[in-house]
Amino acid sequence: MTDGIKRRDFLKVLGVTGAGATLTGCSEPERLLPYVVAPEEITPGVATWYTTVCDGCSAQCGMWVRTREGRAVKVEGNPNHPVSRGGLCSKGHATLQHLYNPDRFHGPMIREGDRLRQGTWDEAEQQLAAQIGAIGNVMFIGGRVGPSMSNLIDQFVTAIDGTRVQYDAVSDAPLLEAARIAYGEPGLPSYDVGNARLLLSFGNDFIETGSSPVAHNKGLAQMSSVDAAGSKGRFVYLGPRLSTTGLNADEWIPIRPGSEAAVALGMASVIAGDAGAAGPYADVLRSYSPATAAQAAGVSEDAIRELAERFGSDSPTLAMGPSAGGHHRNATAANVAVMILNDVAGNVGRTVHYDANVTAAASAYADMESAVSAMAAGQVGVAMVHGTNPAYSMPAASGFAEAFAQASFKVSFASAMDETAALADLILPDRHFLEAWGDSMPRQGVMALQQPVMQAVPHFDSKQAGDVLLAASAHLGNDLGSATFYEFMRAGHMEMHDASMGDFEVGWRQALREGAVEHEVAATATTQLQAPDVALSFDTPALDQGGDLTLLVHPSPRFGGGEFSNSPWLQELPDPVSKITWHSWLEMNGNTAEQRGIREGDIVTVTSPHGSVDVPVWIYPGIREDAVALAMGGGHTDMGRWANESGVNALGLLPSESEQPSGAMVTLATTVSVTPTGERRRIATIEGSKGDQHDRPIAPAVALADLGHAEEDEEGHGELQELQGVGGFVPVPGDGGAATAFPLEGAQHGPYAESHEIPRWAMAIDLDKCTGCSACVTACQAENNVPWVGEDQIVMGRDMNWVRIERYYEQIDATQAGDLDVRMLPMICQHCGNAPCEPVCPVFATYHTPEGVNAQIYNRCVGTRYCANNCPYKVRVFNWYRYTDENVPDPMNWQWNPDVTVRTNGIMEKCSFCMQRIREVENRAALEDGRGIRDGEIVPACEQSCPAEAIVFGNIRDENSRVSQVVSSERTYRVLDEILNTQPAVHYLKKVTFHEVATGGHE
Amino acid sequence: MRKHWLIGGLAGVFALAGLAFVQGGGSQGGEGAEGPVESGQPIAFPHNQHAGSEPGQNNMDCQFCHFSAERSVDAGIPSVATCWGCHIAIPGTNNPQEVAKIQGYMERDEPIPWVRIYKISDHAHFPHMRHINAGLECQQCHGEVQEMEVLEKADEWWTPAKELFFGQDPVWGGDNMGWCVECHREPDENGEQQASTDCAVCHY
Repeated sequence: MTDGIKRRDFLKVLGVTGAGATLTGCSEPERLLPYVVAPEEITPGVATWYTTVCDGCSAQCGMWVRTREGRAVKVEGNPNHPVSRGGLCSKGHATLQHLYNPDRFHGPMIREGDRLRQGTWDEAEQQLAAQIGAIGNVMFIGGRVGPSMSNLIDQFVTAIDGTRVQYDAVSDAPLLEAARIAYGEPGLPSYDVGNARLLLSFGNDFIETGSSPVAHNKGLAQMSSVDAAGSKGRFVYLGPRLSTTGLNADEWIPIRPGSEAAVALGMASVIAGDAGAAGPYADVLRSYSPATAAQAAGVSEDAIRELAERFGSDSPTLAMGPSAGGHHRNATAANVAVMILNDVAGNVGRTVHYDANVTAAASAYADMESAVSAMAAGQVGVAMVHGTNPAYSMPAASGFAEAFAQASFKVSFASAMDETAALADLILPDRHFLEAWGDSMPRQGVMALQQPVMQAVPHFDSKQAGDVLLAASAHLGNDLGSATFYEFMRAGHMEMHDASMGDFEVGWRQALREGAVEHEVAATATTQLQAPDVALSFDTPALDQGGDLTLLVHPSPRFGGGEFSNSPWLQELPDPVSKITWHSWLEMNGNTAEQRGIREGDIVTVTSPHGSVDVPVWIYPGIREDAVALAMGGGHTDMGRWANESGVNALGLLPSESEQPSGAMVTLATTVSVTPTGERRRIATIEGSKGDQHDRPIAPAVALADLGHAEEDEEGHGELQELQGVGGFVPVPGDGGAATAFPLEGAQHGPYAESHEIPRWAMAIDLDKCTGCSACVTACQAENNVPWVGEDQIVMGRDMNWVRIERYYEQIDATQAGDLDVRMLPMICQHCGNAPCEPVCPVFATYHTPEGVNAQIYNRCVGTRYCANNCPYKVRVFNWYRYTDENVPDPMNWQWNPDVTVRTNGIMEKCSFCMQRIREVENRAALEDGRGIRDGEIVPACEQSCPAEAIVFGNIRDENSRVSQVVSSERTYRVLDEILNTQPAVHYLKKVTFHEVATGGHE
Repeated sequence: MRKHWLIGGLAGVFALAGLAFVQGGGSQGGEGAEGPVESGQPIAFPHNQHAGSEPGQNNMDCQFCHFSAERSVDAGIPSVATCWGCHIAIPGTNNPQEVAKIQGYMERDEPIPWVRIYKISDHAHFPHMRHINAGLECQQCHGEVQEMEVLEKADEWWTPAKELFFGQDPVWGGDNMGWCVECHREPDENGEQQASTDCAVCHY
């Protein structure tokens, strides 16, 4: 140190520059932006709810939408809707993500060369009118829409001499045609599942698809519950593969694919006997018997005969014919056969009603085949596509894409890119149903209104398709009477309205508020079977020969036919059957795989005469050994960032063929060969133990015969040792087992003093009602801002869903008819009284509140993860990589619930019993003169969504509350409690089986 | 010795950059038609003139503008139309050029970009209506706002200095949980804690 700077000088300079630097403390301050003119119906911080109808699928469930400051943040079921009665499925919840999906078009798109550029609406609508006027020969290809929109499309198309074709990827056309053939009725039948004593599903996956998954789910739960007389409805599933619906059955008869008609008629012949019932089909019945049925189905004759006898004698019963996953070449006949079975058993007018005219997706694939031919032959000038995506959802063998290209001018109304829109010349992005008007008629006598719950999301310059059609029509000189779709719809309703119904405006407002109006419909007298007017073959249909395994292509419970694939919530929702996320899988029976030397995770090439795909294998005991299954909805190429590259398109393996006489797409058409490619992959599943409880008391069951004769309480739990509340680790003896014992004497000090006056929150989940549909999983994710982590993270076991549905196989046999026992258990944070997670947190970020909730304080958590390590239920999830910044692009963050903290990385989280809802109700009660909280007023998101009404939340300290009454059941137990003494606040009610369950010990 | 000019030069550059930042930060306080005012707010809105009870002041109730305080977790700020409702006819005598800015915002259909003064972190949920329902005055937390011309945050880093050297009371406890807990812990007339100190009451 000679001529260099002296140390003291250096430090002085450092100090000055340091001080100077701190003056730079200001950055852009946070702003408060007021309204320019405050809307009357919005109070900042208070939610405004709107009633509408979910347009996700054809079920059209009633919906209540929670909006905050003009943004929809949560969708829930509408309890006043006569069909769905408050439930909502996962797909319904995910429609909210589609509203804010960043992949939506930002405006009309106009093709220039091989790219699409954004244009203005003026430009786009002018082009539309000009092209229709110049070229003509319009073909309007559309999916299912409400009655008013359907009416408008008809008028539009008629005025310009065009044609209209309807196409939905997943359709109930065979059932529709069967109802017409058998009873002359123009609509789908309605099923009263809840009142059936014996329910047979011939491959009908009514919880996942069909005319109302939510209503049928509710019905199944109702039917399965033990009634006051101590009896319980029985559910038998007949089919080659157990879907989510099938997993809930009490018996599984694994009949060969395509043999439903033989079995139904074989059974009907037993019930009809010599009485000559079944009217015009009496002759047909004479050639069927349990023996012929057994031969066709590959199961024992005795099983069929015995089932038939029960079906005929129990009362009432119900049989449902094959749905979209089982549409083979004789699907209509199979449904007719099931109708005959219902008829001879006396179910018509009791559990099945043919005059209900249920409207649902029932379009004929055959019509699309004609449309494709017409396009290929150059007969179509302007092709318009609305609400459907045939370029994806028709098998490649159909040649849709090539034919579509032949149309001179192609228009799409898609609101986000999809495979069909990618081929279009003009895209006129439609509004999302949450931003638009519409109506729906789920069945005759029920009319529901769909209203916009917020202004159109400003990022996306969209227009309601109805408005566009009206404007185009006017441009072309055909005035359809209204300038906007809203006016058109109201005019239509006004026409149908007559003075006896009261004032129209009053009725309209009431309908908007309540969601649906129901009026009496006179029952028609047609309950007699009619002779068929078309040829029907009840034989097991032939399959295209591609190998030795029958391919079962079925709609996905998460994606339907593929419409929902671009939702990260649904991609990350573990499939209810396989618990797999993000990628496709081929279901294969374990024995079959073993014989071929295939292990789970092996990637195999599945080849049919029509195509081949590479997909990993998943071993599943719930599928016949001669079949493999692949779900629809994967393999998108042009649908958005979450759908693309995710999975494989099962339709590539199918022929382009329509079933006769319904015209439905044939999904059960071919056999395939399966050859290992030599590659493997890790399956992105959240399941650890492959459906095995490993002898732990996780999901016990009780036999129906044992109810009411519960053994005297098995060995007492010993002295209850519960940890003292706030950090004193002295175990205090209690009075054995009762949940209301918490907090114990000695645990009351400081803020926990006097805590016997405050509520103690607890929950009860009835496993006899839970169907494993997983609606609660998505509802929780939507309510609590739970992030999605992506496939790679799931493979590493870092899933973040707060609820998971465990699925345990206790009895499952794919080779013969027999009892089925698969247990579904929604596992959430158990809010243990003796929580193992609480004492191990070094910073006291998790602790037990005086109200009995295990609280997680996000800002205090430092990410030690010891709590998750200690949790025996493994319900704590850790945020590793934040997942809530660029993973949630604008405007998807508009969906976030403002009442729940959005967590950053390094923080543990878990079910909070919807603390924000508890607080909201407490606040409201305090404001209303300090009244007490009413039972049932706090409804966590999972309970609200459950179609089966399996979840109950409430104050267990109040003996009159519903939860107290439910947990007083003899079926009540708590998971792992007897071996770990965790004292959970979440109680489960054992599933009730018909077969014997080993008592004592752990089953 | 030779290198002192270098060090000094660098120090000067940093200081200038720092000053530039401060100036820049100040001017980021929002643009009115003629730029921001000294406080950083887009319009020099004086709470004392509107809510004060001195002669010549208007003695308005807090909740006339902050209307949702008794019903909602949010106190709310008045819409531009609320300001315009009076100021369409009242040009004001003290600062008519500030009042005139309101007309500009109304005509441009633009919200006034106020700078936020009172904020609690996002990980805590503060319900205004519970506190008002419990009988608290706005002034207990927000300070004597009706006497202030300019609202100031009290949790800037220099606040302790102000308290220590100039004897100024902090306006608002700010983003400081201790402020809230202190009041919650206070015993009421029965000697019981008057509000819950359970973490999960605010943190969820």
